[in-house]
Amino acid sequence: MKRDVVVAVSFLLAFLFIAYAVASKNVLGLGGTDLRPLGEFYLSHAFAHEGLTSHSPEVVTAIVWNYRGFDTLFETFVFFLAIMGALSVLRLDEEQLKQARELEATMPHRQMDLIVRATTKLVVVMIVSISASIALHGHLTPGGGFQGGSAMAVAALLLFVAFSKFTLERKGLTLGHTISAYALGLALILATVLAPVFLYGGRVLQINLLPGETGLFNLDVGEYTAVTFGFLTIFLILGIPEWIFKVVLRRELK
Amino acid sequence: MISFLLAYVTITLFAMVFLGIYGVVTRSNLIKKIIMLNVMGDAINMLFILIGYRLVFPVFPPIYERHLTFREFIERAVDPVPQALVLTAVVIGMAMNILLTTYAIQFYRLHGTIDARDIAEIVGGEGNESA
Repeated sequence: MKRDVVVAVSFLLAFLFIAYAVASKNVLGLGGTDLRPLGEFYLSHAFAHEGLTSHSPEVVTAIVWNYRGFDTLFETFVFFLAIMGALSVLRLDEEQLKQARELEATMPHRQMDLIVRATTKLVVVMIVSISASIALHGHLTPGGGFQGGSAMAVAALLLFVAFSKFTLERKGLTLGHTISAYALGLALILATVLAPVFLYGGRVLQINLLPGETGLFNLDVGEYTAVTFGFLTIFLILGIPEWIFKVVLRRELK
Repeated sequence: MISFLLAYVTITLFAMVFLGIYGVVTRSNLIKKIIMLNVMGDAINMLFILIGYRLVFPVFPPIYERHLTFREFIERAVDPVPQALVLTAVVIGMAMNILLTTYAIQFYRLHGTIDARDIAEIVGGEGNESA
């Protein structure tokens, strides 16, 4: 108990100190009227230098895919590693999967009532179109592949809650399909990244060599597909009811 | 007035950061730890965006439009660098979130608890037996 008090008081003191420094001394330099030199460089070079940049009037996208391209590429790689780590922790082997299928078949088929289902159908259509708009215009407006993919994952989550995992699986959205689609998105990113090397003799990720906005558009679409189906894969595995997992896993423990 | 508002928002965000650290340190439930980690991460991202803001009156997003002259654009647009940094940080945060949550869920399925003290007992106990 005494230790908790010490921790709380020391956090409070540190917070008060920083609050004082920020509010009265303005150590972060907030609320200035002029641009920092680095920001000015990016703003003036992102679009004006034809042939050097990735043809995006949106400066954030230009920075992310052109000046910090490798950072963004390996960020996709980190996301891939996280999905694969989650999959390898949650996966069941053949025998356990068969057992889980049998247990699932015995369960009564549950879904929410008519009002929720009808509303979800309407809302999901809207979310999907908005997410596609966010992702496909990612090189012209705020947003991009990851943001569109996250919105799309929300639509998938709504479907999971209102209907059930089995409805989706009966429509053909099985684990194999989602993983294949995820791999397809990653393959598109890889192809776009390597295309300048093989087609134009440039360097890796030199997407300004590709005609027009093709490079950025392909990267956005690839990221969109990858994020959407990466999330869906995790949701599909987490969608297996808890008690089935427990029965299957605990039996293995004994 | 505007400087008061800026200071107010900044102090609130710092309060959220410290609240996040406090929650991660003091709660023993793993899910609560993850939630507080998210609160902290989002507050820090928000601070980054705030640093890029400029106090000029018609302030534009860093998107070049045809009807603007170049000089106008550079005088009015906000700093794009913090936004680009946050864009990366958000994705990494999400990846970390997925991984932590799945580990917590799987631990609960295998051992029936996500309390940090119980986990220390379970892991320590098994280590002693095998040693």
